[in-house]
Amino acid sequence: MQDIKEHRDRNTASISRRRMLQIGAPALGLSLADILQARATSSRSDGARQGKSLIVFWTHGGLSQQDTWDMKPNAPAEYRGMYQPVATSVPGIDITERFPHQSRVMEHVSLVRSVHHENGIHAPSAHWMQTGYFGPTLARNAAQRPSFGSVISRAIGAGAPQMPAYVTIPKSEAFGYQGAVYLGKAFNPFEVGADPNSEGFKVPNLALPDGLAPESVEDRRALLKTFDTLRRDIDNSGVLEGLDAFKAQALEMVTGDHVRQAFNISQEDDALRDRYGRHQFGQSALLARRLVEAGSTCVTVNTGYWDHHNEIEQGLESLLPPLDQAIAALIEDLKDRGLLDDVLIYCAGEFGRTPLINGHAGRDHWSNCFTVMFAGGGLRGGQIVGASEKWGGGVRERLVTPLDLLATVYETLGISLDTHFEDGSGRPVSIVDTGRPIAGL
Amino acid sequence: MNAIKTHLLTRGFVSAAVLLASALAHETAAADRPASIDVEPKTVEVFVTGSTQQLLTTWQPGDGTVADVTRRARYESSDSDIATVTKTGVIRGHSSGKTMIRVSAEDLSLDIPVFVRPAEELPRVSFASDVVPILTRHACNSGGCHGKSTGQNGFKLSLLGFEPHFDHATLTRESRGRRVAVSNPDASLLLLKATGRVPHGGGKRLDVDSDDYRVLHNWISHGVHGPRENEPRVDQLVVTPADRVLKPGASQQLLVTAHFSDGSTRDVTRRAIYESNVPELADTDETGLVSTGSQGGLFSIMIRFGEKITTFRGTIPFSDGSDTPAIADSETPPSSEFDQHLFAQWTHLGVTPSAPADDYEFIRRATIDVCGTLPTAEEIESFVADDQPDKHERLVAQLLERPEYASYFALLWADILQNRGSGYSTSKQRPGTTLFTAWIRDSFAQNKPYDQFVSEILAATGSQQDNPPTIWYRSVRTTPDYVESVAQAFLGVRIQCAQCHHHPAERWSQADYYGLAAVFARVGRKGGFADAEVPTNEVIFLKREGRVVHPRTGEEIAPRALGGPAFDESPFSDPRRELTDWMTAADNPFFARTMVNRMWGHFLGRGIIHPIDDARSTNPPSNPELLDALARDFIDSGFDIKHLIRSITGTRAYRLSSTPNENNANDMQSYSRFYPRRLPAEVLLDGISQVLEVPTNFPGGPGVFPEGTRAIELPDENVPVNFLQVFGRSARTTACECERSVEPALAQALELVNSTVIQRKLSNSPFIERLAAAESEEAGADEIFLRVYGRLPRPEEKQVAVDFVSSASDKNDAYRSLIWALLATNEFLFNH
Repeated sequence: MQDIKEHRDRNTASISRRRMLQIGAPALGLSLADILQARATSSRSDGARQGKSLIVFWTHGGLSQQDTWDMKPNAPAEYRGMYQPVATSVPGIDITERFPHQSRVMEHVSLVRSVHHENGIHAPSAHWMQTGYFGPTLARNAAQRPSFGSVISRAIGAGAPQMPAYVTIPKSEAFGYQGAVYLGKAFNPFEVGADPNSEGFKVPNLALPDGLAPESVEDRRALLKTFDTLRRDIDNSGVLEGLDAFKAQALEMVTGDHVRQAFNISQEDDALRDRYGRHQFGQSALLARRLVEAGSTCVTVNTGYWDHHNEIEQGLESLLPPLDQAIAALIEDLKDRGLLDDVLIYCAGEFGRTPLINGHAGRDHWSNCFTVMFAGGGLRGGQIVGASEKWGGGVRERLVTPLDLLATVYETLGISLDTHFEDGSGRPVSIVDTGRPIAGL
Repeated sequence: MNAIKTHLLTRGFVSAAVLLASALAHETAAADRPASIDVEPKTVEVFVTGSTQQLLTTWQPGDGTVADVTRRARYESSDSDIATVTKTGVIRGHSSGKTMIRVSAEDLSLDIPVFVRPAEELPRVSFASDVVPILTRHACNSGGCHGKSTGQNGFKLSLLGFEPHFDHATLTRESRGRRVAVSNPDASLLLLKATGRVPHGGGKRLDVDSDDYRVLHNWISHGVHGPRENEPRVDQLVVTPADRVLKPGASQQLLVTAHFSDGSTRDVTRRAIYESNVPELADTDETGLVSTGSQGGLFSIMIRFGEKITTFRGTIPFSDGSDTPAIADSETPPSSEFDQHLFAQWTHLGVTPSAPADDYEFIRRATIDVCGTLPTAEEIESFVADDQPDKHERLVAQLLERPEYASYFALLWADILQNRGSGYSTSKQRPGTTLFTAWIRDSFAQNKPYDQFVSEILAATGSQQDNPPTIWYRSVRTTPDYVESVAQAFLGVRIQCAQCHHHPAERWSQADYYGLAAVFARVGRKGGFADAEVPTNEVIFLKREGRVVHPRTGEEIAPRALGGPAFDESPFSDPRRELTDWMTAADNPFFARTMVNRMWGHFLGRGIIHPIDDARSTNPPSNPELLDALARDFIDSGFDIKHLIRSITGTRAYRLSSTPNENNANDMQSYSRFYPRRLPAEVLLDGISQVLEVPTNFPGGPGVFPEGTRAIELPDENVPVNFLQVFGRSARTTACECERSVEPALAQALELVNSTVIQRKLSNSPFIERLAAAESEEAGADEIFLRVYGRLPRPEEKQVAVDFVSSASDKNDAYRSLIWALLATNEFLFNH
């Protein structure tokens, strides 16, 4: 594997070990600022958040690049697949005919067609793409590194005090690798826990359990306030303070307005909800937009299951249109609201799929060269980075690693690439290591 | 000016005391000694433009204290053509000869002879001892830059300079030799980049006119010689002073001297790297000047030069002791040796211990810490009513006989022993984890000696049915697993870093790492089913041979104790037994101390070495005498764990309240008050169940977990219970106790606020039903507070509770809300 090293003028000083440790946890325990890790981004006067946020469409199972964003119309039939490419709003960029909505807004979309890593099994590959590092195997499967969502949650925090910084819709996926590991439990994702498209959608974590009436919650809150008088100064470790902050936040989330409104998708216009599409992907994307507006910093919409070893056409026919509709509607909606530059959209999965269709009319796992998509976030848009070989296969140009992708995300969101966090054994681990942001995006 | 001058012409210890007065000194009291200043070193030898010497000037006012006045003193050279001295006491030679530097401070002065040797006599620049430390000093070879495993921009150095041969080759042979240009040193890429004269991602690290630049320049112009076999090497790094008591807002110059193998010494104060282990308390700049902050406490500065490290230990008293109440309490004098060490440290630090905890606090604390259980109202009342003087000891003795003690410590040790249930084939793993947890529990119930406990695990062979400790080998299978688990769990050492390179903060090398790995090279595995990578039900046996090779050199490494002797390699001996014999020997420096420290941390909230399993010379124990005393006592008792628990819970520190007084609020190291901590996940869940009298139904049903099974009795971490997950139970992937976390998280608060598990317990609680049906709300309030908080309600609390319930239309619901609120308070959630 060839390491691509961009020549960048790094005017940051080199990191002394001490400074690396200071970026992690102070010796006497996590400070409250570390635990809550929020409020670094203040709100603007119009109530909107400052700083950029991220919405991820995670294609759980591995989306086929050759049937979507990296078409090979001149290849033999067994490589070409069943779709034809169509022109897009950017001359020279063609994508699958099943992405008509995205083709309309292609000027906001960039494709990286040369992503490469070296594992072909779901779980380890998911860890690699979520964290930038290879580590767990199927049997020794404990997560080893934090996901990019947790890194973002710890490095930036939420844009509003009550909102969870990192959210997964409808729940966490990627084989359990979307969590915070050694960054700390506070940076695990908040799982919405239900399909936003469902009838009577409510968030289990925000909903009161059966038998508990809202008035009782008010009683409980008042009683808690009265009795929770254990002196704060007995605990220097920050745990007590942190728990207090989270209890207040939890009660606020459950009883207060800001968070419940953010999750209340029924407040949206029917017409807009129709534009996103009345399916899980569409309504999840719409909910994601609401959440980042309300102050969440990273919202991952887990879509799937894209693992089409058999009958891929059948599988894609049902999944591609809703994904397309959701992504395009999100881009247009953000643009209409003037938010497109502030919200980065990233679509990726654990790997791509084989260029050659197998004996079951499906495609198998393929990590040698696959495609991910970026949109918004102040990126240029309408760009193609990298290229695959003639009929698919390996990387022909501009190899990009999972760490490079994360570096691109972090840089766009304003996170310093020198950031390190201490792992369980005390060793400072870089959030990007050898990764470099993709120039030209 | 009452200056006392003494001219010095000879070497030897001198003080500027009046010589006549020293004859009379015997007749004066110690506090009346005349003031003096002392300068280190006593004589100075430098080379022309070759080296510098930092002076260390100390003032002894005569009252027994010492103060560093290096930066306040005046320095004057008698002949500045020969040698000059800066305001900060750094001497530099200019031409060969001899002169004096007069050091004046506090109306006293001292003359220091300086011998300047000619430049020709300067030893040749040593790559290993001169060049590499410069690269380390300026962080060129740090893990953030060229020292990381992939190097930086095509230039890779060994991390922190641990491999000079490699670095020499990289500098002189790679990159077409552009990095060093012997005929025109200033044009070397190494120097151009380092001074920022060509673009350098790391910025400007050196000035062209600096000493460091000159050394590198000389090294290049003299022919870029590499490390030589017989050149003098740094044997030892010495810091003067090695420890000191410093007031808040004070400063202390450090003098760091490298002692070479040929007997020579050199001042490396300006070439060393300094790192504080508690920067909030005190920190150091690059000139070796320590500055303390405003808080009291203990800190140490790690000092690195080349491959060697040493440590400066600082104490910042909380007060000068004059306005704090007498620490030695005449009514209850320190009874045990351990208390004496605690008292000594409190006196030394000027910190006053808090008042003792009351009976209610103590029984709750002890029952939680020993048994992972809340005390019942009856137990509390009985303890409070007991008026015998030894009631605390008797309570602990009783707790140690309860079955919950064995269950709770089995839970904690199953974490450390990585008794992991999740993985690829989890359904097959449960029988094994159940057997192992049961074996651990039996070991604690029988009070098996700790040395025997560990030996039975490490040297285990056989099947899991015959010998459950073999299950440890299911999770611990690869070389890193063996080395890191054994080192962290039983030796208290985090050796992970040494897998790939020399440990940055301790003396462990790769040879140490792989020497320990070699102990396990002969472990064989037979059979087992389910998945190939982590099978279950394997039979562990010892093969006749097995090898471990050093990953870089390829040479075979013999099994060896950590930092200790090599083991017998006969095929008839089991190297694992040799390891356990070495570990459990009375003079082993790690084994007993690690267990003692772990137990101390369990009961007192923070290890004497902190983190608990991170012992290194650069992370010293906060109270080494206490740790050593406890360790010796533990060994002498025959590694009796219950005895250790009685010793620890018998100390004054364990009996203190957590409420701070005016003086000890910021103490986090000397145990002058009890450090509160959140209850572990299982203890919380069981506590809620106990208060409400509704046991948890664990997934799997009664067939798997009989009704009444407690969370602390669960066999492994793979029982899906969200409450336990979010409140931080250990994932058991490593031997680190830190995997069990008490960090706060939003998910915990949400679990408390709206989980169905808790709501169902509230809705089905026989206790609440009885309360609602009972006559007296006052008695109800008392009972509730005793169960939840372990104490009776204060009058105002009782009023609120009674008013709330009596004014409610639905008493059941009112009690549910009341008890919920109390369960969500910090007083319940914390052990304080």
